[in-house]
Amino acid sequence: MAKEDLISANPLRVLGLDNKAEEGTQSLGLVMARAGLGKTAILVQIALDSMLRGNRVLHVAIGETIDKTRERYDDILSKMVDELSDEEATDISRRRMIMTFKEQVFSRGMLEERLKDLIEQDVFKPDCLVIDGYDFDGNGRKHMEELKELMAELGIAVIWFSAVSHREDPRTSADGVPAPCHTIDDLFEVVLLINPQDNVMKLDILRCAYCEVEPGTTLLLDPSTMLIKKS
Amino acid sequence: MTTDLSNVRNIGISAHIDSGKTTLTERILFYTNRIHAIHEVRGKDGVGAKMDSMELEKERGITIQSAATYASWKGNDINIIDTPGHVDFTIEVERALRVLDGAILVLCSVGGVQSQSITVSRQMARYKVPRIAFINKCDRTGANPQRVTDQLREKLDLNAHMMQMPIGLENDFDGIVDLVTMKAIYFDGDSGEALREEEIPADMAAEAAERREALLEEISMFSEELMEAVLEGGDIDPALIYDAVRAGTLSLEFTPVFVGSAYKNKGIQPLLDAVSAYLPCPTDVVNHALDLENDEKEFEVTNDADDTLIMLAFKLEDGRYGQLTYIRTYQGVLKKGDTVYNSRTGKKVKIGRLVRMHADEMEEIESCGPGDIVALFGVDCASGDTFCADGISASMSSMHIPEPVISLAIIPVDNKAQTNMSKALNRFTKEDPTFRTYVDHETGETIVSGMGELHLEVYIERMKREYNAAVEAGAPQVAYRETITAQAPFDYTHKKQTGGSGQYGRVAGYLEPMEEGEYEFVDQIVGGVIPREFIPSCDKGFQKSMAKGSLCGAAITGVRAVINDGNSHSVDSSDVAFQLAAQGAFRGAYMKAQPVIMEPIMKVAVEGPSEFQGAVMGSLNQRRGMIIGTMEEGNYTVVEAEVPLSEMFGYSTTLRSLTQGKAEFTMEFATFKQVPKSVSEELVKKYLEEKKGE
Repeated sequence: MAKEDLISANPLRVLGLDNKAEEGTQSLGLVMARAGLGKTAILVQIALDSMLRGNRVLHVAIGETIDKTRERYDDILSKMVDELSDEEATDISRRRMIMTFKEQVFSRGMLEERLKDLIEQDVFKPDCLVIDGYDFDGNGRKHMEELKELMAELGIAVIWFSAVSHREDPRTSADGVPAPCHTIDDLFEVVLLINPQDNVMKLDILRCAYCEVEPGTTLLLDPSTMLIKKS
Repeated sequence: MTTDLSNVRNIGISAHIDSGKTTLTERILFYTNRIHAIHEVRGKDGVGAKMDSMELEKERGITIQSAATYASWKGNDINIIDTPGHVDFTIEVERALRVLDGAILVLCSVGGVQSQSITVSRQMARYKVPRIAFINKCDRTGANPQRVTDQLREKLDLNAHMMQMPIGLENDFDGIVDLVTMKAIYFDGDSGEALREEEIPADMAAEAAERREALLEEISMFSEELMEAVLEGGDIDPALIYDAVRAGTLSLEFTPVFVGSAYKNKGIQPLLDAVSAYLPCPTDVVNHALDLENDEKEFEVTNDADDTLIMLAFKLEDGRYGQLTYIRTYQGVLKKGDTVYNSRTGKKVKIGRLVRMHADEMEEIESCGPGDIVALFGVDCASGDTFCADGISASMSSMHIPEPVISLAIIPVDNKAQTNMSKALNRFTKEDPTFRTYVDHETGETIVSGMGELHLEVYIERMKREYNAAVEAGAPQVAYRETITAQAPFDYTHKKQTGGSGQYGRVAGYLEPMEEGEYEFVDQIVGGVIPREFIPSCDKGFQKSMAKGSLCGAAITGVRAVINDGNSHSVDSSDVAFQLAAQGAFRGAYMKAQPVIMEPIMKVAVEGPSEFQGAVMGSLNQRRGMIIGTMEEGNYTVVEAEVPLSEMFGYSTTLRSLTQGKAEFTMEFATFKQVPKSVSEELVKKYLEEKKGE
C-alpha cells in the first residue's frame, strides 16, 4: 500500500488529534489497559502514523530496552506496509528516536534535562512525544500539569501516554476513564481504552476533544497483529 | 594428568573492556599458589599481570591475546583462559569458548552490562557454554550490583540471581553475605588470603532472609528434592541448594551471580568455590564430532580415556621455538612420541613435545587425556584442525569466524622491512583468521584487514617490535559492495570462430536482485539448448563477474542469475566458451540492472556521563549517523547509533576530546546500506580515475 493510502486509510484519522496539533495547540492523548493487553502496540501505531506524515517522534520507554522498543516498531511497520524501499525505511527511521529509562532512574527532572539537551543542541526536535510506562500511580495532577507546561515550553505539540489500569480497582471518571487516571482525565484531549470482550479486542474512545466521531465509538484491534482497524 | 574428569574445570573468563578480567585471573593464580606475588595490570612496579605477557599488553593495559593457565583449587583442576574484551579481538573469545566447558562473565558493578558484555554473552550462547557472573569492582564509587543483576535479566535475557550480598559498597565494601550458608565472609590478611566467617550483620539479616527466600523459590524449579524441602520449611541442607543451582546452570536456565572486588582482594575464593560447584566438568558437556568415513554423520565424543584419540587445535602461536599449537582433548590419551592424523589434510604428525601452559611459561608433560588443554610443539596445522589417532577419522565442527570490516594499505619503509613484514604477516594471519592480508594486483599495495582500528594498530605495532618491520599505514579502506536494484535481461553470444578450433556459447536470461543472500544461480534451460555439462560453466562465469563491479570495483552481492535460453555449437562450445559468454552477459546486463554501491554500517554504542549526551549525538549525526536511541543508567548514558564505517575513522580521538576522555565506544558490523548519491559519485569518480591512470 502506498504511503499516502496508508495515512488516509488509518483508522486513527477519526481521532483528529494531529490536525489540531498542527494548528499550534497542544494535545495530550492516553492509552489505557490492563497489563499486557497491547498499549505499547497502540502507541507505536500512533507514532508510526505521525512519522509517516512527516513528523518526528521521540519515544520514551520507561523500563524497556532500545532493542525491544525498536523491534516493536519494525514488527508493526512490517505488518502495516507490504513493501518499503530502503530509502523510505531509512527516512522513516530518521524521524524516530528512542529514549529509555530504568523505572528507578526516571524522573520529570531527568526527562527535562535530556529533552533540553536534544532540542537545544539541535540533535532532535520531536513533534510528537510518546511516553510509555509512565507511573500514574505515583504521580498526580500536579506532576501532569508540570509535564504539560514543560512540553509547551519545548514546543512539543502532541504527547501520548500509556497507563496501566487494574482489574481490582473499579473507580472510573464520568467518561469511564479507569483509575489511576480517573481524576485527571480532563487533562487529556483523547483517552483510549483497550477493552477485551467476548474474544474481540475493542479500542473504546472514551474522550475525544477533536474527534470526527462521537465519544463511545469503538475501534477494533486485530489480536494477531495488534493493528487498529475500523469496526 | 587427571583421570577423574569430575574434578576438571575448563573455563574462560570473558567480559567488556576494563571489567577486571585479568586482575581477577591474577588473584585466582595467587590464591591457588600458582604465583607468589600479585602484580597489577597497570601497576607502578612495571611488572604487569601474569596473564598479560605481551609487552604491548602491559603498556596499554589491555589483554590482546588470550592466555592459558591452570590452577588447582580444593581438589579441582581448573584450566583458565583469560580473554580480551575489545571487540577487535573477538576471535580470541570465539576460540576460547569453542573448547571450554564453562565461563565466568565478569561485569563492572558501575558500568554493568556494556556492549561487549552483550557480544561475549552472545558468543557464550552460541557455543552453549554455562556461565556464572561475577560483579567486580564493588569498591568503586557508583557500585550497584543489584542494578547489574537486573541488567543481566533485561539486556542479556538471563535468569540471573545473586547468590551473595555485598557488605557495604564503594569505600565501605567490606565483605560478602553468602545466601546459601547464610554467613558473612570477610577477607583478611595483606592480600585477602585469610577468610573469616561471621554471623550476618544485624542490619542486613532481614534483607538477606528475603533474598534467600526468593533465591530458593527460583532454584527449587531445578530440583524436586529442594522444592519439597522448601515447602516443608525448616533447615535446608546446603548440598540440595548447590545441586539445584548446578542443575540450573548446566541447563543454561540459571545464572548465579557473585560479587566482589578483585583489586581489593575480596570475593575471589568464594568465586572459585562456585566454579567447582556450578560449572561443568568435561563429562557434563556434550560435544559432537563428524564421522568423516560415514557421510559426516554426527556422533557424541565419549570423554573416555580408553577410546580412540580425538583432539581439536584451537589456537596457534608462532614463537621462538616454532609453532605452538593449543589443543583440547575430547577422548583418548595423547602421549609424547605418539603419531596422530590431521583429519583435514590426512597427514601423519608425530608429537615431539607436550607442554602445559602458564601464560608464557611452559611445563613439559608426558601425556594428556580427555578434558585437558595443552600445547604441542612442532605440529604444522591450521586453527580448527582435528587430530585423531589411527582407527578413526573425525572432525570437530569449527569455530565461527567473523568477516573483517576494515582494511589498511601498509608500505614497508625499506627493503629489509619488506622481507620482515612478509614473515610477520605469514605468522599473524596463520594465528588469527580474522586478520587477513593480500596484495592488490592493480596497485601492488599490501592490504591488511581486521575487526577494527585497534586490531590493525596492534598488529602493525607487533610487526615493528617483534619483526623489526616498520611500515607506514595508508588510508583505511572500507569494504564497499555493489548490488543491483532492478531486473535486467541478457542475451549474449561469445563467438571466436576464425579458423581452427573456435569458441562459441550463447546464454540468455536475466539478472535480478535478491533480498537475502549473496548470489544464486537458477537454471531454467529446457530442451538442452545449452548442454548440461556447460551449465556449471555459466554459473562459474557469473560468479567470476561478481568479484568486481563496474561502479567502483567492489565485490557484487545480492544477485540472482537466471538462464532460460542459449545456444551451443557441436565443436566450438566448451567450458571456457560458456564461462566467457556468461561473463559477457553479466557485463551487459549489469548496468541495466540499476546497480548501486553499498557501504558497511556499524552499530555504534557510546557510553559516557549523561552531561555529554548531546555532544556525542551531535558528533554521530555529523558522521551521517542515525541515532537509534539512548539508554539512561542514572549518571551514565549509552547512545546507540548506526554509522557508516567510512565515517568512523579517528572517532576515538574526537570522542576523547568531546568528553574529556570519560566516554568510550564500541562498534560492530550491522548491515550494508546504499550510499548517498554524493558519496556514490565520489567513489565512481575515484575508481574511474584510478582505472585511467593504469
